Amino acid sequence: MEEQKEVKKQKYVTFMSGKECFGLKIEYVNEIIVLQEITVIPETEDYIKGLINLRGKIIPVIDVRLRFRQEPFEYNDRTCIIVINVNSTVVGLIVEKIAEVVEISEENLMPSPTIAKQVKSQQDRYVYAIGKVGDSVKLLLDPDKLLHDDMVILEQVSGESEADDTEE
Amino acid sequence: MAEEFNLDGMLDMYLFENRQLLEKLQDTVLEQRDADCFDDDAINEIFRTMHTIKGSSGIMMFDEITTVSHKLEDIFFYIRESHPDNIPHLKLVEHVLTVSDFINAEMDKLADGEQADGSSKEIVAELDRFLSSLKGKKDKDEVIKENVHVEPQQFYIAPMATSNSHFYRIYIMFAPEVEMVNVHAYKIVFGLKDIAEDLLHFPEDLISDEHSGEEIQENGFKILLQTQSGEEELHELIKEGYDIQKVEIAECTASQFQMGFDSFGAEIRIDLESNVEDIEKAAAQREMQENGIESGDFVIVPASEGKKEPEKKIEPGDFVIESKGPGKSKKLAKDKVKKAEKTSFISVDVRKMDQLMDLIGELVISESVVLQNEDLKVPGLKLDNFHKAAGQMVKIATDLQDVIMSMRMVPLTATFQKMNRIVFDCSRKLGKDIEFEMIGDTTEVDKNIIEHISDPLMHLVRNSVDHGIETAEERVAKGKTEKGRITLSAKTESGKVWISVQDNGGGLDREKIIAKARKHELLDPTRLDSSYPDKEVYQLITLPGFSTNDKVTELSGRGVGMDVVVSNIQAIGGVLDIDSTPGKGSIMTMKIPLTLAIIDGIVMQVGNNTFVIETGVVKEFINVKAESVVTKPNGEEFVMIRGEGYPIIRLGDWYHVENCETDITNGMIVMIEVDKECVCLFVDHLIGKQEIVVKPIPDYIKKVKGLSGCTQLGDGRIALILDAAGLLEE
Repeated sequence: MEEQKEVKKQKYVTFMSGKECFGLKIEYVNEIIVLQEITVIPETEDYIKGLINLRGKIIPVIDVRLRFRQEPFEYNDRTCIIVINVNSTVVGLIVEKIAEVVEISEENLMPSPTIAKQVKSQQDRYVYAIGKVGDSVKLLLDPDKLLHDDMVILEQVSGESEADDTEE
Repeated sequence: MAEEFNLDGMLDMYLFENRQLLEKLQDTVLEQRDADCFDDDAINEIFRTMHTIKGSSGIMMFDEITTVSHKLEDIFFYIRESHPDNIPHLKLVEHVLTVSDFINAEMDKLADGEQADGSSKEIVAELDRFLSSLKGKKDKDEVIKENVHVEPQQFYIAPMATSNSHFYRIYIMFAPEVEMVNVHAYKIVFGLKDIAEDLLHFPEDLISDEHSGEEIQENGFKILLQTQSGEEELHELIKEGYDIQKVEIAECTASQFQMGFDSFGAEIRIDLESNVEDIEKAAAQREMQENGIESGDFVIVPASEGKKEPEKKIEPGDFVIESKGPGKSKKLAKDKVKKAEKTSFISVDVRKMDQLMDLIGELVISESVVLQNEDLKVPGLKLDNFHKAAGQMVKIATDLQDVIMSMRMVPLTATFQKMNRIVFDCSRKLGKDIEFEMIGDTTEVDKNIIEHISDPLMHLVRNSVDHGIETAEERVAKGKTEKGRITLSAKTESGKVWISVQDNGGGLDREKIIAKARKHELLDPTRLDSSYPDKEVYQLITLPGFSTNDKVTELSGRGVGMDVVVSNIQAIGGVLDIDSTPGKGSIMTMKIPLTLAIIDGIVMQVGNNTFVIETGVVKEFINVKAESVVTKPNGEEFVMIRGEGYPIIRLGDWYHVENCETDITNGMIVMIEVDKECVCLFVDHLIGKQEIVVKPIPDYIKKVKGLSGCTQLGDGRIALILDAAGLLEE
């Protein structure tokens, strides 16, 4: 019985980044922790903030805002780290604020609207769908893409993307 | 068959124990493979091992394993008892290894949840042939027959009492630690039958009765003997020694003899030679035995050193004896061996170890959270007792951490031993005589790493045997020793384990490699052959499909070896170095990161970052004056120390660390040396020296030059581990 329901409804952990609300399937989320001391790793992409020690396990943390190529934000006591596990890669996501856990049923999911499909912007490629909860809209993230997808792209166009950074 | 019962737990135990036994057995065998024959200890060990395996396989109903181990046990029983001097040693070694391979293969099947369905027929036939060839030349020892399972064997000795006959009651107590007492008892009986006119013993069935050993161990071994010989002679035959704790021999009357073991009441005779202690001991013994055996009245024999083993001269006609040799009943003995092993080792799931490791990490962090808690910093708080208690806790936590770290570390010995075996097998197959040497096999490496290096190492060793070492004729022709030599060595250097396989064979053929590479179009056609440095040429052999051996042999030469080796090594972040001197041999070195290995490190601070460098590469720490630093026009700096110039790497600049020290006089120079090259690192200050656990930087972060891993410091912070060799590259 329960299973049938689950097929229709999925739980999402939502968090705020900028003024938008993003959602991650709860199955990817290991835990949510408060901001910890981060050890910077030199010579890495700017969005990789470094390493944290999660109870003896050393995991990398990335800044979601920087990942989306948005303005960096000041870390404060509302800043959280969402520890996600995607195909056994454990990574912490630094987010401005945790919102809530919501249930979104399948009929409320829809593909994310874009202007031109062929020129998907960097940010958009992480969002695989949008979910409607009441009046608000959650941007649902593909965690795999979030972590890995443009690693290749970044390397290929590393020079350009750095330039992009400064423009944004 | 097996799955009719729930044998899962038993099966695990069975596999674990027998694997250990076989491993040990193999070591012993290989250790003595170059000798002319096995020494007594080895023979006993092999015999015992096979017996144990036979016993436990019997319980588990793995018939084929039982049969094979039983056969080998027979052979060793024969060797042990008859000491034939015509043993073809190498043949025997091979047989032992074949059997151990067979059993291992069967156990692999079992471990995979399959049936142990391999057929032992061929091996058994081989062993039978071997045994009969051994026996063929030693008819005298025919009495000791094969160790077959038969109905309880009996000694039937025709009573031919004469007036000269004496009747004795002999009581023997074995030392409690003696194993396979029934076999020892059997030996005594065997020794006595030379002089016996009639002989009865209890327990009657020494060989096939599983419990006879226990019975003897508990209640002693009793013999009724009719003989012409005097007591002295009996003492000669049954001496107290390492296995026999006590022998008591008492003369009795013929009628008592007839009554068998129920008869008692002969007068006590004290041997004049025996001292008071012995008598007392005997008295105590008798008391002890009161409810045990029907102990008779025995004479105490003074303890005498030396071997108890009676001479075994068979004079046909003296008696009729049907001996089938010790069979099943030696079980008891190895049960004890097992017990001993259980107490010293337990196998633990690695995942549990990881879990424990994580928990301890967590503990250390929460420890520092408690000890450096803000609440404690209220002025005027009296914390003396708190600090005392806290100090104790810190100590325990540190010890705990040390223990868990050391638990994960495994010496390479077992892996190296395996290679020993491979060298032996391959060299035999190829008819090459190869000496195998191991250096640094006690180097400790994390368990996970060991699992990954076994296969590549095997390939390398095989390659050395097959391609590296020449045949004996070729070697002699080249003026080398006939015997080839392969050296396997391990050491830790600059945060990596270096495992090298060195042979003194022909070395790599540069021309041949280049020719082959040209044929496969692996080289740039515009480049000249001579423009390729040696190292680059040698690396070509690691390309897929590259094999310079003309012939494909059973062992190697299919060209899959080297590229598999390299990809396996790369998979764990290692590299393979190949070096070779034509005519002198080649050396292949795997350099593998320690991953979770523990290294002794110097912890240094640069800006807000903490770095660690392996103590081994650090040559010295120096405070330098500003004037000894020279800056070249391109910005490179070097420092003059004792008349030598050394380049400086400012770690802060190198890694673009913020807030780091820039004034060279305020910081610290750490001079490191790798491969005879020295470089000075400039850091803000040193924090200290400590044992650190190397953890890999998560895969998610791409490799950063000069960093080999990270570690968690005592206070929970993360430090980055510098890879000295990596820093120097470029």
